Amino acid sequence: MEVEATTVMESNSQPQKFALPVDSDHKATQFWLFSIAKPHMRAFHLSWVSFFMCFVSTFAAPPLIPIIRDNLNLTSTDIGNAGIASVSGAVFARIAMGTACDLFGPRLASASLILVTAPAVFLFSMASSPISFLLLRFFVGFSLATFVSTQFWMSSMFSANVVGTANGVAGGWGNLGGGATQLIMPLVFGLIRDIGATKFTAWRIAFQIPALFQMLSAVAILLFGQDMPDGNYHRLEKSGDKPKDKFTSVFWHGITNYRGWILALTYGYCFGVELTVDNIIAEYFYDRFNLKLHTAGIIAATFGLANIVSRPAGGIVSDLVSKRFGMRGRLWTLFVVQTIGGVLCVILGQIGSLSGSIAVMILFSLFCQGACGLTFGVVPFVSRRSLGVISGMTGGGGNVGAVLTQLIFFKGSKYSKETGITLMGVMIICCTLPMTLIHFPQWGGMFLGPSSGKAATEEDYYMSEWSTTEKEKGYHHASVKFAENSRSERGKAASITRPSDEISPTHV
Amino acid sequence: MASRSEIVLASLLLFLSCLAETSDANGVVLFSSLPNTLEMIVSPHKPEQVMKPAEGSWTFGGTLKAGEDKLSISWRLNQSFSAGTTDSGYKTIKVKLCYAPVSQVDRGWRKTVDNLAKDKTCQFKIETRPYKHVCDSFYTQCTHRLVLPCGLEGGSASKWKYIDWTIKRDVPSASYFVRAYAYDGAGVAVAYGQSTGPKKNYNIFEVQGITGRHKTLDVVSICFSAFSVLSLVGFFVVEKTRAKPT
Repeated sequence: MEVEATTVMESNSQPQKFALPVDSDHKATQFWLFSIAKPHMRAFHLSWVSFFMCFVSTFAAPPLIPIIRDNLNLTSTDIGNAGIASVSGAVFARIAMGTACDLFGPRLASASLILVTAPAVFLFSMASSPISFLLLRFFVGFSLATFVSTQFWMSSMFSANVVGTANGVAGGWGNLGGGATQLIMPLVFGLIRDIGATKFTAWRIAFQIPALFQMLSAVAILLFGQDMPDGNYHRLEKSGDKPKDKFTSVFWHGITNYRGWILALTYGYCFGVELTVDNIIAEYFYDRFNLKLHTAGIIAATFGLANIVSRPAGGIVSDLVSKRFGMRGRLWTLFVVQTIGGVLCVILGQIGSLSGSIAVMILFSLFCQGACGLTFGVVPFVSRRSLGVISGMTGGGGNVGAVLTQLIFFKGSKYSKETGITLMGVMIICCTLPMTLIHFPQWGGMFLGPSSGKAATEEDYYMSEWSTTEKEKGYHHASVKFAENSRSERGKAASITRPSDEISPTHV
Repeated sequence: MASRSEIVLASLLLFLSCLAETSDANGVVLFSSLPNTLEMIVSPHKPEQVMKPAEGSWTFGGTLKAGEDKLSISWRLNQSFSAGTTDSGYKTIKVKLCYAPVSQVDRGWRKTVDNLAKDKTCQFKIETRPYKHVCDSFYTQCTHRLVLPCGLEGGSASKWKYIDWTIKRDVPSASYFVRAYAYDGAGVAVAYGQSTGPKKNYNIFEVQGITGRHKTLDVVSICFSAFSVLSLVGFFVVEKTRAKPT
């Protein structure tokens, strides 16, 4: 350990001082919401604000559809297809973003994506047909991949005991954009129209506003952000502090980890459901309870706005539970919360009264979005080397869930909306069951404890991602530190050292 | 001529019977219960927009531009009804622009519903006028217009009323016809007339809405987009040149 520390010291010109308390990896062990200290809290604020802007841009069209559909002569089918297109682009974009974060760092990866998708938002001013509308919504939807870079960045900056909280607040406050846009865009549109533009021009001008903010947030990331507590990937790789990793290895270790696939499926049935509900809930209230479109829109916005507390609460609860029960507690809480969400969804479809529906919908939003926050309390531990790929797979799985659910239950007139909602609830309960299969050898799973035997430590788990040659070259050092810091996932009861703990870090 | 009091009584009775027919106990007015007592003719202004497929008949050709082109809309009480009795309850005429069936397909927000309060067929108001069955004074401008000046029709009790209407700028691209509703003193619809038949399959005209696009706006958004991409490229270049010395 001492040898390693000296090497690190020599390559940095001076020892780093951090405003927040940090662990051996220089990740913050506390989360100070109201600070912008660099690098940790600054990264937090840059990432959630830019993710928020991307959500605002992606869902800027729905509140203005009554104007756009007349301007572009859209049919209901065109509008539905554009809605599905807006969430399907992010499926692969999220996986690609995960890989890019592993290879190039979240700062470059997210800023590049945001700056490259901002033109799609600006160019809504030139939309002239249903096809151009669909293509624009498709390309803007790619920006939702910034979710992955947000979670990756938080997992790089914050230690195991607060990573759930950091992920939850950043993810939740970003998701807020989906609800805020339902209020922001009509306001901006109204202002521009009152200044004197005709409505068919006013909506085009209105789109420039979220686009501008999106672009500015990306510039801020490039100017003020930093990939890791110790610096940016590029500089760290040049000075030898961080080895440059290979795409094929990173990708392989990500996709061959079965836990990533299970989490992708379960995330499809909390986040995917959240996106689906964002798209259909206004129409549901409008049709079933004969509300005014304006009122139905406000209720729809409420569902998305619940993210301000529900997702962060999920992350905080994950961290709290982990203190006592470790990873097994995180898994159990996630399972229970998401299943309750499914039950509430079934009930929502059955309720016939307006006030009852609103109450159940709010409860449902708390559990559904809470499950999203809880999921990303587990994701940072599935892999260290391929953290980005795992985050990307899970995030992408969320969007797949949204596409699938809308196609099966909410396209055409096969099911009434209330039947669709009930069936969606049943599907949530079924697709949450695979979580019982997740097992970490060093911590256990829902039903089984940690594996006994020699290869059941945190070091063994994270070291298995590196080959012997790579270990000889010393590429695995970051994983060693992470493994040590993740011992807290054993929970209080298992803090007594186990026999398999008599190891020393395996570096040559 | 009957005495004034008899006319008033007859009108009142007719009015009440009309009311009974057209609305149910809740005051809901159903379109299917309204009598089609008004004749309407709609014609464009530009001669090249009129097509004459056969002698004595004409129809629209070409598309009208929102914000630019005008429609001549004319209406009167159908000559087969007696003026003075049928229309004695009509107090106001509201003329509206309505979507043709082809523009309602797969668009639930333009649906035709029998309950007039929920019907979304006619979304654009053209004109609201007090109903007079005595003619107003007016004059013709274009020879192809089918409206004759007041007084030249020789003795018919009910004269054509007409208006010139510039198609508003916010009218979207779609196919349309024109309908007029007659309202009584209480604001309840009591009759209607439209420029097409019951199946709405002839005399349908197309309007081309404004795109809402402007060259300036296009240029501004292209510039912003280019700036977005170029700033990324510029950043990479700066990073590379800065990294070289180390």
